[in-house]
Amino acid sequence: MREKLRTITQLLRNAFGRSIGILLSILAAVLVGSIIMLIEGQNPLEIYWLLIKGALGSQRGLLISLQRATPLIFTAIASTLAFRTGVFNVGVEGQFFIGAICGAFVGYAVKLPMIIHLPLTLAAGFLGGALWAFFPTIMRQKLGVSEIITTIMTNYIATFLISYLTNYPLRHTPTTPETPPVQPTAQLAQFVELSGGTIGKGTQAHVGIFVALLVVVVMYIVFKRTRIGYEWRMVGLSFPFSEFGGISLDRTFIGGMLVSGGIAGLGGVVEILGVWREYKDLFAAGFGFRGNLAALLGGQNVIGSTIAALFYGGMEAGALGLEWSAGIPRQLIDIVVGLIIFFMAAEGMWAFVRRIKWVRGARAVRRTTEDLEV
Amino acid sequence: MTAAVEMLGIRKVFPGVVANDNVDLSVEEGEIHALIGENGAGKSTLMNVLFGLHHPEAGAIKIRGNEVHIRKNADAIALGIGMVHQKFKLVPSFTVAENITLGSEPRHRGVFTDRKAVHDSVMEISQRFGLQISPDARIQDLPVGVQQRVEILKALYRQADILILDEPTAVLTPKETRDLFGVIRSLVANGKTVIFITHKLREVMEISDRVTAMRDGKVVGVTKTSETNPTQLARMMVGRDVLLRVTKTPAQPKDVVLQVRDLQVFDDRNLKAVRGVSFDVRAGEIVGVAGVEGNGQRELVEAIVGLRPAWGGEIKVKAKNLTTLNVRQRREVGVSCVPEDRYVRGVALPASIEDNLIVSNYFKPPIAQGPLLKPDVIARHAQEMIETFDVRTPSKDVPAYALSGGNLQKVVLARELSAQPDLFIAAQPTRGLDIGSIEFVHRQIVNARDRGAAVLLVSAELEEIMSLSDRIVVLYEGKIMGTIEGARATEEGLGLWMAGITEATPEVAGSPEVARQLVAH
Repeated sequence: MREKLRTITQLLRNAFGRSIGILLSILAAVLVGSIIMLIEGQNPLEIYWLLIKGALGSQRGLLISLQRATPLIFTAIASTLAFRTGVFNVGVEGQFFIGAICGAFVGYAVKLPMIIHLPLTLAAGFLGGALWAFFPTIMRQKLGVSEIITTIMTNYIATFLISYLTNYPLRHTPTTPETPPVQPTAQLAQFVELSGGTIGKGTQAHVGIFVALLVVVVMYIVFKRTRIGYEWRMVGLSFPFSEFGGISLDRTFIGGMLVSGGIAGLGGVVEILGVWREYKDLFAAGFGFRGNLAALLGGQNVIGSTIAALFYGGMEAGALGLEWSAGIPRQLIDIVVGLIIFFMAAEGMWAFVRRIKWVRGARAVRRTTEDLEV
Repeated sequence: MTAAVEMLGIRKVFPGVVANDNVDLSVEEGEIHALIGENGAGKSTLMNVLFGLHHPEAGAIKIRGNEVHIRKNADAIALGIGMVHQKFKLVPSFTVAENITLGSEPRHRGVFTDRKAVHDSVMEISQRFGLQISPDARIQDLPVGVQQRVEILKALYRQADILILDEPTAVLTPKETRDLFGVIRSLVANGKTVIFITHKLREVMEISDRVTAMRDGKVVGVTKTSETNPTQLARMMVGRDVLLRVTKTPAQPKDVVLQVRDLQVFDDRNLKAVRGVSFDVRAGEIVGVAGVEGNGQRELVEAIVGLRPAWGGEIKVKAKNLTTLNVRQRREVGVSCVPEDRYVRGVALPASIEDNLIVSNYFKPPIAQGPLLKPDVIARHAQEMIETFDVRTPSKDVPAYALSGGNLQKVVLARELSAQPDLFIAAQPTRGLDIGSIEFVHRQIVNARDRGAAVLLVSAELEEIMSLSDRIVVLYEGKIMGTIEGARATEEGLGLWMAGITEATPEVAGSPEVARQLVAH
């Protein structure tokens, strides 16, 4: 009992320390953002208020936040998974797009009843993303090439490959480079369609959010309760130890990256099936990178990354609202988001706060355990 | 003669623990003073107080008779105190000279580092104290023993008269230890005073003039080294008699479990580290591999465990050829190992004790059921291991880094022995541990043998090898110099083999193959 209590307080203390870091970062970003807004001749208080109201103040705002967060949850979880196994998957961006184009293709080219077609399309997205993650991973494991470089490179290849596909073989209309629309049997319903226009009017929020949350739950359980999750965690924490214990590093790294890429690809296809319903060339760049950032913000754990992705989505929705209602350029908001990430990444700034606590804590634990020794 | 250092009534409290409780320490000018005690006894805390890294709650410090207030590290350095920490504080990519002068470089017109002056002053002090070193070598290319020498030079460069060495031999090979002792003697001959923290009694007896023993934050004894003996010191440190020699019954060897034939293994630099080694280990016996470190022991163990490919030859366990199997398959055949690098391979420091305990069996029942893990079984397993192996930890959920070395080694032992291995390999199993833990580890090794396991013990500590092994093989430059029964081995004889001298081997025993191989060489 006492021991349980101690564990709980320890967890709370860690969570608290981390939250303090995030809060301080947000605060610092808000302050610096305010200065920029003042220079721009805007009233920062008003802008922040509008931002929050835009994201959370109405049903519409909330749904837009969710819709914006949906793809980010996928990419954030994908990055988190890779991070946890000790790999920096910068290729989430490309995997997201490859997943999207694969899904779009299966979505329009195949005719099947929905019960088969929709899962098949989602699976195509997953496999596309996984395949795209496979090349850099195999290069890392077999040739020792840094995944950071290869995944960045595969992002470019993905972009140009898809440009080619949408401009030539998969082109639907002569005017714009885009694929034919996906069959209704492969679409993810938007709330506005489901409710006959009563919920989510003027938004494109769709049931894909449930797919995203399902992925979150599954990944949470996988990390906590499964063999493969244990392998991922241990290899990420210490690969010499894992190797000594008999865990196959190749299998774990490659497996982890494939699933990471798969989840990114799944995010891509969900975005297509729920929002766009056809693949427009470069329909939305940056989801992958923002997912990487959300994973960093969220402390590289499943729940934290999800919250960070939702937060990110909310900020974007708020920014959109700002642009519509007050004519304030959304770039201002992008600056604030960028600043938050910047301050978060500048760990050194907050590390000292945490380090003092941590060192004191660790020292106390160490002293007590040493003292216990005969 | 005034005391070089006098610490009076030092008290230092950490949250929950009194690390130093009314501690007195007096060190004479020009002596080698050993400060002994087990891990957590408060030795390092006391020295950190002297070096200005901790602030005591109470007490006074006198240096050469004058009372001083050491508020910060720089005060201690200004008073001529230097400290060589257990973990070296060196910049790996810098040269020796750059490291030594870092922070107080000779300047050229006040701005640029005067490289020539740096080089010359390092040459000068290294010659004055007989510390051979090349000022232009990079730290990352130097062996540990030489890096330590750089640390000592760093202190001397800052005009230290009183040198604190915090467990300097923990990271050294026997040869490097001997070299270090030579350095210490030359320092004292040059008028320096040395405080030497250790828990190795043999070193205390060999090098020190006087000893202060600490236990649980208090001083429990001060004595002249010439007036004491290891047994008395051990009793002071732990408050009871320690079995420096493990009690064990004669071995009853049964079938051959491990069979190594003409094994050849390369090291990381792609040099042949194990060159045609053959030996057997039978069930129920402990075979000790002695030898100066770096003579192929590491590569031998890694090749058996499966971390390093065998370039040639055969490794068989229970007549099964291991060479094509991976680590897990070998573990399933019945191989277990306490690895040499406890903190790197033995445990995952950021992972919980619980997670550390299941890395070799998480994939099979009862821990796993299909792809799922069973948290309640894992928790029970962890609790059981913690109790059986007496791991002192606040809970099974704390990360491994919160545990002391001895307790970490217990975690490793618990994991590796709970698999009931047929072949149990223990590589440097007690390095850096305190006496209580060493005894525990030794008992576990003997127990494993008595249970019927074949035990391969690799150690750089001759004492350990001699007191535990039923048979001893000596490795020298990747070859077996000789095999001898544990009871018939003498330190001198083993020493000759370890130095690569074959002529003096009247006591060759062991398997006929080994003998034949010896003849062949």
